[in-house]
Amino acid sequence: MRDVISDLHPVVSFLYFAFVLAFSMYFTHPVTLVLSLLGALSYSIYLKGRKALGFSSRIMLPMIIIVALINPLFNHQGATILTYLPSGNPLTLESIAYGISSGCMLITVLCWFSCFNVIITSDKIIYLFGRVIPAMSLILSMTLRFVPRFRAQMHVVSDAQRCVGRDVSSGGVLKRAKHGIQILSIMVTWSLENAIETADSMKSRGYGLKGRTAFHNFRFDKRDRSILFAVLAIAGTIIAGAMLGGLKYRYYPTMKGAAFEPLSVLLYAVYLALCALPVILNVRENRKWNALKSAI
Amino acid sequence: MLKKSLIVCAALILAVALCACGQSADELPVDTPEITASETPEAPLVMDPEASPPETSAEMPQDTPEATPASESPSETPSGTTPSSAPSESPSAEPSPSPDKYGTEPVPAGKAEPVEPEAIAVGDTAFTCTLSVRCDTILENMDDLAPDKLELVPEDGVIFATTTVTFYEGESVFNVLQREMKRAKIHMEFVNTPIYNSAYIEGINNLYEFDCGELSGWMYNVNDWFPNYGCSRYQLKDGDVVEWVYTCDLGRDVGGFSAAGS
Repeated sequence: MRDVISDLHPVVSFLYFAFVLAFSMYFTHPVTLVLSLLGALSYSIYLKGRKALGFSSRIMLPMIIIVALINPLFNHQGATILTYLPSGNPLTLESIAYGISSGCMLITVLCWFSCFNVIITSDKIIYLFGRVIPAMSLILSMTLRFVPRFRAQMHVVSDAQRCVGRDVSSGGVLKRAKHGIQILSIMVTWSLENAIETADSMKSRGYGLKGRTAFHNFRFDKRDRSILFAVLAIAGTIIAGAMLGGLKYRYYPTMKGAAFEPLSVLLYAVYLALCALPVILNVRENRKWNALKSAI
Repeated sequence: MLKKSLIVCAALILAVALCACGQSADELPVDTPEITASETPEAPLVMDPEASPPETSAEMPQDTPEATPASESPSETPSGTTPSSAPSESPSAEPSPSPDKYGTEPVPAGKAEPVEPEAIAVGDTAFTCTLSVRCDTILENMDDLAPDKLELVPEDGVIFATTTVTFYEGESVFNVLQREMKRAKIHMEFVNTPIYNSAYIEGINNLYEFDCGELSGWMYNVNDWFPNYGCSRYQLKDGDVVEWVYTCDLGRDVGGFSAAGS
């Protein structure tokens, strides 16, 4: 499936994610939290299909519940006392609401990051930061690649081990642990060897020499420019509006904040546009593509 | 070298992932002594049949302080319920010349000695005392008050007007405050501090310590004396007058600075 954001110039797509992540982490207003969560969920479902839905229901839902339950255990602020905890401190509505909102924020950010990982691939990271912080961007892209690679190799190794009868999924606990450790030891050796190989390979290709260039075929075209302007305009509006207090919200001691004043409603609309931007662009692109295809 | 950086990076990523789970603001009360015992005044918990009569309770608990190590002296003074810090030139109280094992300096002559809540059984003989909760010092320091808390401050500064309340033999100032706040549906948060063996009142009516400047918090006085120990260790006598007051200046503005170690 084609995705508009990943076809954009890395600067634009990175900037988009930077804004969305920063806003999702900064604003605690319930409306913006919900909008951002919906945007992130719909985009990750668009990118990854049903897998994303399973992930969000199996991991994210329990996460919200756990955070929502833990916060009132440690935080007893709030004017609406529901009941008293066994420790003698009050259980307040506000602390539960705060727990839910912070759980919501947590999974929203996780969800946006999972989209970020799909869109901003390691070659884009190198392209974006290769000049500014070469060592850091190399390390970042290598580590980001290391985890999936390690997992893939682990599958290969454990399959091979199963063929020779050292199965981790059968036998007694002790036996299984022994086989697991065997696989782990193989993996450590493999990663050590792999690191040396990578280092040698990089050295032989002249890594670290002066005047090095990196191949890329990113072009900053008209579409990139218009989307960049749109993102900047939206982000500017949100920042300015937030500075004027349009997205203010506080949970303690009573839940209070901007509700449906004109400025706030405008900001909600703009925020929705920002969060739904990838899905909107993709739907439009698909429709255009289908129209062109049927015209042939 | 590359390998090393890989490992460092993996560790960094793990650390970042772990950091993501930090949101909780307060620490958990480490242990809970049985100070929350009686909840319903109608049927108080009788823990010990041979509860001591209240007349003797005031001068009963003479702790033996000689054997205590000097290392336990407290270094700072959260306002309100905790004892004094500096080795004071306090009045020559004959019973205990040095701090007790919770760092409490000698109590002035004629004032109630601290008791340990876990050693006291709550009886079922009812007495009365007077309780009030006020925050009028905030009214003079409105500029320092956290803006979100503005709506919580009553116009006259009285959160809980002077009321005669019932308590049961052996109960502490903390027990009475907790029960009355619960009954009046006024918010109150405390934390048990084992090193002072007492509850520390963090906030009443959502007005917390440090909400009105960095020297602010709750303090209590009984019969116009600010005890130099925590409210769970002050055993009430019949007719005591208990006042909880909010200070914005470490006790100086409510007349309780001596309790904070001067």
